[in-house]
Amino acid sequence: MTAEKTDAIVLRAVGWSETSLIVTLLTRDFGKVSALAKGARRPKSPFEAALDLLCRCRIVFLPKSGDVLDLLTEAKLMRQFRNRTQRLKNLYAAYYVAELLRELIDHGQPQADVYHLADETLLKLEQDAQVDGVLLQFEMSLLKLLGHQPSMTRCVGCDTPLLDEGPVHFGLLVSGVLCDRCVAGQRQVIRMRGESRKIFTLLSEESDWESGWLTIPDLVRGECRAIIQRYLTVHFDRQWQLHRYLEDLAR
Amino acid sequence: MNEISKSVTELIQQLGRLPGVGRKSAERLAYHLLRVHESEANALAEAIVAVRKNVRYCSSCYNLSEGPLCGICADPSRDSSRLCVVEQPRDLMALEQAGVYRGLYHVLLGRISPLDGIGPEQLTIEKLVDRVRVGNFSEVIMATNPNVEGDGTSLHISNQLAEYPVEITRLARGVTSGSILEYTNREVLADALTGRQKL
Repeated sequence: MTAEKTDAIVLRAVGWSETSLIVTLLTRDFGKVSALAKGARRPKSPFEAALDLLCRCRIVFLPKSGDVLDLLTEAKLMRQFRNRTQRLKNLYAAYYVAELLRELIDHGQPQADVYHLADETLLKLEQDAQVDGVLLQFEMSLLKLLGHQPSMTRCVGCDTPLLDEGPVHFGLLVSGVLCDRCVAGQRQVIRMRGESRKIFTLLSEESDWESGWLTIPDLVRGECRAIIQRYLTVHFDRQWQLHRYLEDLAR
Repeated sequence: MNEISKSVTELIQQLGRLPGVGRKSAERLAYHLLRVHESEANALAEAIVAVRKNVRYCSSCYNLSEGPLCGICADPSRDSSRLCVVEQPRDLMALEQAGVYRGLYHVLLGRISPLDGIGPEQLTIEKLVDRVRVGNFSEVIMATNPNVEGDGTSLHISNQLAEYPVEITRLARGVTSGSILEYTNREVLADALTGRQKL
């Protein structure tokens, strides 16, 4: 098996034996990789600090076939996550980014766009106070890249364009807005303010998230966060660990 | 596997469950225990029983202790105006071995790690806040591990202690004494420059 080189973000590192780590990495060229880093916990480890959570590093690994873990042979630190804001919200938001990536990205599927998005998001979270906007943009961009983006402009029941700028029904299970006719009989439907829908529409239509980071108006910030969190919970049928922490800090 | 003896097999299995001890090492240890004098093997067994029976957490700082208070908390010569916060009792031992700190400690028994389901409520943070509230501490030294989760735990605690009149400091980090700058990685150098001291 030949060694592979790529850039990676550390999504998780757990102890394995006295001296080794099992790391979960989001790589630029190989999707998610789980690898054994032998000797990573030794005082004179060749990996140094490169395998700390959220670090960006350049790795060399030996892919293994079947259920066997890949073997990490080198990791050179490129950038640590430095919470320059000294705000817990930024740190928990970065943890949340790692949690979403860890759960939603598959092993072995190249996701260069996702890697780039994650890298830029972490960079932004290191220094920006607008955490809600950064997270919302990350979540929507990630959903788009993974093909899970909810429909915000057309009814998901009948495909009719919803032109009214007032409140709309949003179906969490059906992944999108619903017109008054199609909403009947649907479960897990919530009301969304017109202003919130405008933000989601803007984020859905934005062809390139790199064109800038959005500032969410105070008026709808709470609602937008609540909607996206509920959508992620219902759509992927799982509770996200970091939602609780982010909600606690928002109170 | 051909069983030589049920007792030996059981001993190998139990030793093999210890951290850092694989099958081969467990076998070596088991055969060593069979070779040594009976009193030596019994002393090990008794030490294991005694440690499980007698050792508990100090009711004040959560260090390992054989009584209600550990030796450090019970020592009146310690500086009771300083409190050093560590993640585990073994971190406390490492700091004690450095021999320069004469204050008190508080052991968190872990660090906040939301991705692994470990929140602040599972640590001894509430007890720490209580100690600071009722104590006469002038300084709380954060000595959590210098990584993202360790720093995050320190940040959480410093927020919790913000309303109390204590100075919150953390361990210095940066270039190792005796090393060469040219070969030091840039993150360590960045830490050293950020935390530079007046000569």
